[in-house]
Amino acid sequence: MLELKNITKVYDPGTVTETTLFKNFNLTVQDGQFVSVVGSNGSGKTSLLNIICGSLPVEGGSVSIGGRNITKVKEFRRHTRIGRVYQNPSMGTCPSLTILENLSLADNKGKPFGLTPAVNRKRVEKYRAQLADLKLGLEDKLHVKMGSLSGGQRQAVAMVMVTMSPLDFLILDEHTAALDPRTAEIIMQLTGRIIAEKKLTAIMVTHNLRYAIEYGERLLMMDRGGIVLDLAGEEKQKACVDDVLEVFNQISIECGN
Amino acid sequence: MKKFVSMILALVLTMVFASSAFAASVPTIGIAQYGEHASLDNCREGFLQGLTDAGLTEGKDYEIVYQNAGFDDAIATQIAQGFSAQNVAIMCAIATPCATACFAAAEDKDIPVIFTAITDPVQAHLDEGNITGTSDKLPVEAQLDLIRKLQPEAKTIGILYTTSEPNSVSAIAEYKEKAGDYGFEIVDIGVTAQSEVTQATDTLIGKKVDCISNLTDNNVVGVLPSILEKTDEAGIPVYGSEVEQVKLGCVASAGIDYFELGRQTGAMAAKVLTGEASAYDMDYETISEYGIYVNYDALTAKGIELPADVAEKAIDALAE
Amino acid sequence: MDVFLDTCISTLTQGLIYALLSCGIYITYKILDFPDLTVDGSFPLGAAVTAVLLTRGVNPWLTLAVAMAVGAAAGLTTGLIHVRLKVRDLLAGIITMTALFSINLQIAGSNLNVERAMKTIFTSKLAMGLMGSSTLMLRKLVISAALVLVVKLLLDLYFRTKNGLLLRAVGDNDNVVTSLARDKGSVKILGLVIANALVALCGAVVCHEQRSFSATMGTGQMVFGLAAVIIGSTLFRRLGFVKGTTAAIVGSIVYKACIQLAITAGLPANLLKLITAALFLVILVAGSTKGRSKARA
Repeated sequence: MLELKNITKVYDPGTVTETTLFKNFNLTVQDGQFVSVVGSNGSGKTSLLNIICGSLPVEGGSVSIGGRNITKVKEFRRHTRIGRVYQNPSMGTCPSLTILENLSLADNKGKPFGLTPAVNRKRVEKYRAQLADLKLGLEDKLHVKMGSLSGGQRQAVAMVMVTMSPLDFLILDEHTAALDPRTAEIIMQLTGRIIAEKKLTAIMVTHNLRYAIEYGERLLMMDRGGIVLDLAGEEKQKACVDDVLEVFNQISIECGN
Repeated sequence: MKKFVSMILALVLTMVFASSAFAASVPTIGIAQYGEHASLDNCREGFLQGLTDAGLTEGKDYEIVYQNAGFDDAIATQIAQGFSAQNVAIMCAIATPCATACFAAAEDKDIPVIFTAITDPVQAHLDEGNITGTSDKLPVEAQLDLIRKLQPEAKTIGILYTTSEPNSVSAIAEYKEKAGDYGFEIVDIGVTAQSEVTQATDTLIGKKVDCISNLTDNNVVGVLPSILEKTDEAGIPVYGSEVEQVKLGCVASAGIDYFELGRQTGAMAAKVLTGEASAYDMDYETISEYGIYVNYDALTAKGIELPADVAEKAIDALAE
Repeated sequence: MDVFLDTCISTLTQGLIYALLSCGIYITYKILDFPDLTVDGSFPLGAAVTAVLLTRGVNPWLTLAVAMAVGAAAGLTTGLIHVRLKVRDLLAGIITMTALFSINLQIAGSNLNVERAMKTIFTSKLAMGLMGSSTLMLRKLVISAALVLVVKLLLDLYFRTKNGLLLRAVGDNDNVVTSLARDKGSVKILGLVIANALVALCGAVVCHEQRSFSATMGTGQMVFGLAAVIIGSTLFRRLGFVKGTTAAIVGSIVYKACIQLAITAGLPANLLKLITAALFLVILVAGSTKGRSKARA
């Protein structure tokens, strides 16, 4: 269970550009829940993810996962049980390493990085099978450098890498936003499948209202550091794009967008 | 890849061509000079004069290959190794880094190395083996004596030096040891790079030294004009360590004439070349004769009058 | 032809010795993407320590190990300044380099020469036992080649271990390292430690070869190393199978050969640097146009 309690986040404190994003922000996500988050630019979606991951410090409040307070835990340590897929496909993989090397790195997460061979030959077949699952023809490109793949292919491999080791929490940060519609669709289906198969707890930020409605058990809409819409269970199932869009337009007008 | 191969091939061919150009029938003297610098240039010219004075003729008795390292140790190494590859008869090394490089490169083929412009060959371990030459150790006492005669009232002498130059460090030690005998106190400021020299000059002027005396410190001598600009303004006379500095505007110097030093070195090289002596047996030499060089314009500007006994021996640096 | 052969041998030896440094720069510049100016200080540091130990008659091979250890410490310092104190990469290197200038002089006293009676790796018992009958020049070539080969093979092996892969990942995309729940800062520090150990090793071998340490010998070494790495990688741009370490070694040899060529051709030394710069530019531009035309196709 993820719990954000009384989070306060102030940008540029003590300067003329000081802006308070979150003030006493609260959010609880139950284990195994798949939450989609929508909201306009600057509503605090990505800041929320950064606060959970620890790449953004908070001025007040606490973050805890599974009852353990991790507010002061460093970013890289939080990643022991958190996985994150970024909007930019090149963020999640190493471009000058091969697919095989990237997967080997991810496969070793949580284990010591010592002086034993990086690539375990016995695991190669397993990697191949996982890549074949993606149906992108990557299983024959194990020795190809990541950098020469397309954005969609990279994002797919990043998904595989992130979900290779056991996770408490999966974070998807507009991970289909930089892809063309067809590839976005493929990645989204893959996402849904992996989350269902591995029964992951996940938060997905997206600009695509349809994805937000189609996927996940809960939908949040954020605006100016607050949650303006929180649909779960049956309410969420009944909601359609038009309903959500209406609320979305309303807050946009208020903002003057 | 083709381009690369052809590039390498072109490199090799040029190398063959260039190296074959040195396959002369007369013995070759390779001169490795650390950098372009008036004193070092004088050394080289004196060296050539010394060979001529010994009755040797270029083209008939020897050929000269001159290389300049541009003050880069790694290049000095490659120059010395080039000399070794060319089987030169003698390596003439001007300044310590070149001597070190030449001595290392000459070890294999036992090529004699004749050095000049080295202050302390013993400290640099360049005194034993197939090596000899001349030292440009400063005549510190003569300089102190000169300053005392020109400025009878002076109490403090300021000196700037580079902390990493062993020559300068040992000269400072000698200055400090002997200054008392002449009634002086030494105010020294060490720098690590040339860019710090002007700032250090300001500090010396601020400490109200009566005069400044130079060493043969490359960093300091290299920016002498800017030092003189400041000291002229403050009315502080600067004493040089050799004639070139006096030409630039130092009032006087009891110093080495590097041309003479080079000539002495050339004479030694001639002996080695003709087989009259071996560099193994010859001890390194220091220059015993030093001249008193003066710059009358600078003296007048500072209101210093030459005592009769100094005036008698003094050589007008600008008259040369 | 003897002249030519000798020139080739000595040039190759110089190229190989300095390849130790270019391999170090390959790690910082190519793998970590870190412009590490520590090099101008850790190179003479290796030489200073070696010169002092050699004059005391310490086993020459041991001096190499000590030099690597102090070089590693220099890298560690830069790493800690950069990662823990959050000083920018370039500045962190400059700070360590500046401090090392004084430290080197403290260690060696002043510029220091090692007398011939003292054994170096090129005249050590091991070297004399194996190839005492050959010339010193040949011994220098073989020993430096052996050293470079050992370093290269060890590095290549290391890059294929889990730890080595993590190092490659941190320069490529440090975000991935964080995702793996590893501290990217520590990995960067490790890279700087290895790189500067190699640079100091190079300084040590140069000291053995020249029997001298001078405080200013480090000036421009970082630039040399960068040039060597870039020349190497540009030459082999199209040959994917050539390892980065090989490229760095070849780059060093090509660089030194160009200098030797300029010297042999009798070009004035004051112009050497200009010629080096011109050559550097030509190789860079030639390399990047190749890359561009490939990208277009």
